[in-house]
Amino acid sequence: MQTVEKQRGIGKYLIVYLCMLVISAIEVAIAYRHIDGVQMVAQMMALVILSAGLGIMFFMNLAMEKRSMIIAAAIFALFVLGTINYGWTDSFRLVSGAPFSTYH
Amino acid sequence: MSQADLTMGHHVPEMEPSPFAIPAKKLAMWLFIISDVMTFAACMIAYGFLRNFTSDWPRPFHSSTVVSVMVMTFILVSSSLTMVLAIRAAKSDDRAGAFRWTLITMGAGVIFVILHLREWQGMIDKGVRMNANPWGSSLFGALYFSVTGLELLHVVAGLIALLIVGLGYRSRRYSSTDLENCNLFWQFINVVWMFVVPFVYLLNVAN
Repeated sequence: MQTVEKQRGIGKYLIVYLCMLVISAIEVAIAYRHIDGVQMVAQMMALVILSAGLGIMFFMNLAMEKRSMIIAAAIFALFVLGTINYGWTDSFRLVSGAPFSTYH
Repeated sequence: MSQADLTMGHHVPEMEPSPFAIPAKKLAMWLFIISDVMTFAACMIAYGFLRNFTSDWPRPFHSSTVVSVMVMTFILVSSSLTMVLAIRAAKSDDRAGAFRWTLITMGAGVIFVILHLREWQGMIDKGVRMNANPWGSSLFGALYFSVTGLELLHVVAGLIALLIVGLGYRSRRYSSTDLENCNLFWQFINVVWMFVVPFVYLLNVAN
């Protein structure tokens, strides 16, 4: 039999929703700034991680789960972000020549 | 007394506690999301790799595209909120309310799909194909359609899941946990879109 839960207000969800929209607007503003590509990617990445983190913690209710699950999700997320950021920077290595590369 | 009871000698097998103390279905959905995240991560790695590696990568998106993408983002983020409200209603055993919010979420999803296809049509009209485009490297079209297409496929799958589970929840065939699992998948789609927008669209805004 399902337990009926008394629900709190939706204020928390509205705040997260507005934050995600504001973050998207900031990303658009950054896109139109004339800054270095690396800087732009770094700023976008920081905002994206913040936005995604809000969505995962509050809209996916991960913040309400057991701490062990939050830690497992955090480790996995760090692994994924690490591989993404390694993959992108690795492309520069190929362009400029890997160590012991035969191409110069 | 069942045959199983006789066989076990009246010992009732103890079930191990569920990892993270969540229902098995929910854990399965989280594991599926993790595997899907790896798929998208691989796509994003390939995209970033090839974008950096290609000297003539085009930056074709003008303000009209940016406005369209922002509208799509607004719709998808709003649908995330409405889905959360659906779960909130479901946890209060308000089946009618939960189904109503689920329908609104689905409506927003359908609008997102239409706008997305409209965006694709615009690109196709400009001459962008999987293997060619009028501006630069042919890889642009392949990566653009692949990454956004994978996202679109997930949105469509999410809409189908929401319809089936929403109707099932309203007819009491499914529980609020099942609707909550759909919510997890829907929120995951939104999180992926948060990554797709800046790296596929905003970083390729025309100078």
